[in-house]
Amino acid sequence: MLMAAGAANLLTPAVLFFALGAVAGWLKSDLTIPDQVAKTLALYLMLCIGFKGGVEAAASGLSADLVAAGGLGLVLSFGTPFAAFVALRTLGALDQVTAAATAAHYGSVSVVTFAAGAEYLRAIGVEFGGYMAAVLALMETPAILAALLIAGGGGKSAEARLKPSLWREVFLNGAAIVLIGSFVIGAITGERGMARLDVFVGPLFQGALCLFLLDMGLVASRRLAEAPRLRWPLVGFALVWPLLSAAVALVASAALELSLGDASLMALLAGSASYIAAPAAMRIALPKADAGVYLSLSLGVTFPFNLLVGIPLYHAAARFLYG
Amino acid sequence: MALVTRTKLEIFVEAHALPEVEQMLGDAGFKGCSVFAGVEGAGAHGPWRQTGVDEAGIRLIVAIGSDASAQTALTWLEVYFQSYPGVVALSEVSVLRAERF
Repeated sequence: MLMAAGAANLLTPAVLFFALGAVAGWLKSDLTIPDQVAKTLALYLMLCIGFKGGVEAAASGLSADLVAAGGLGLVLSFGTPFAAFVALRTLGALDQVTAAATAAHYGSVSVVTFAAGAEYLRAIGVEFGGYMAAVLALMETPAILAALLIAGGGGKSAEARLKPSLWREVFLNGAAIVLIGSFVIGAITGERGMARLDVFVGPLFQGALCLFLLDMGLVASRRLAEAPRLRWPLVGFALVWPLLSAAVALVASAALELSLGDASLMALLAGSASYIAAPAAMRIALPKADAGVYLSLSLGVTFPFNLLVGIPLYHAAARFLYG
Repeated sequence: MALVTRTKLEIFVEAHALPEVEQMLGDAGFKGCSVFAGVEGAGAHGPWRQTGVDEAGIRLIVAIGSDASAQTALTWLEVYFQSYPGVVALSEVSVLRAERF
């Protein structure tokens, strides 16, 4: 069953477009998606995710599941960097600042991995709560705050970490504004709003996701090719850590009696690594951290792994756990 | 042709530093500056490329002004570069319409 689910996931247009981009990047093709187009696509995807989530959350109302999932998301996002930091320091032998910055990426989450996972669940008919889009937004920031605590320090370096531009980046970055704002707009307008935006946030979404993943494939393969400093223990961390995080999230989700779909998405969120919000914040907060390490791991290793293997694997594990 | 000597600063920083650097240039006495977005390149930390996703967001800020203003800016940048990546180049240039600088 797992093999069949994995094969079905690998043969979806979104994953195949990602593979096309990765191969084109690997072969050094001149294929490029203009950066402003990629940015627009990213904003569009977040608008869709947030808006649809808001509409569905409005329909289901403020439920205990929403509170439980949100609370679990916050705990996982804040707690994960502490454990990841220890692993990165011991196994990866990273310096303290780079290990803290990398740990932030693994506590924070990937919006596109969430989008691909949600589409996978929809395609196989597994229902999940619309409020998971809000959980996604909640999980972006605590990991960044945890990384600042881990990096510690005092005096001048601490001032640099806590400068106003960091808080602006953490709480007011464009991606967060669009995601949370769209969720609120979706919740306010409900079905009436959905009737007006149905085509924009519905049928067009898959095509935009494919185009965005084509670009992600290009970016991921080029980043890997330009990261000769990555050592095997670090690559191993980027492959194994998502499995451990997802397992913890699954057990906690089952204990909180979240639905199968919610648990699958919670595992996916816990197993994903940020490559938009966290890098931007770490460039301001921990500028001495090696971006070549944390971006190569999150974008070049963990993101493709989750897209190709993680999504069906986490759901299969959830099915197994839920009987 | 009334050419006048001025000092040009070319400052490379990450995009998040832009507001701070622009503020500093104003405080140092520069009457204006121009900002250009980077496309790709390589530096001490290896190659970088502007993309829509994991972008390094490099910006080139060009400012022309008096030598005194340039020295004030250099003092500020020397401290800034102890914490953040970036480089600065200074050169003497000849300009028309000196009152604009």
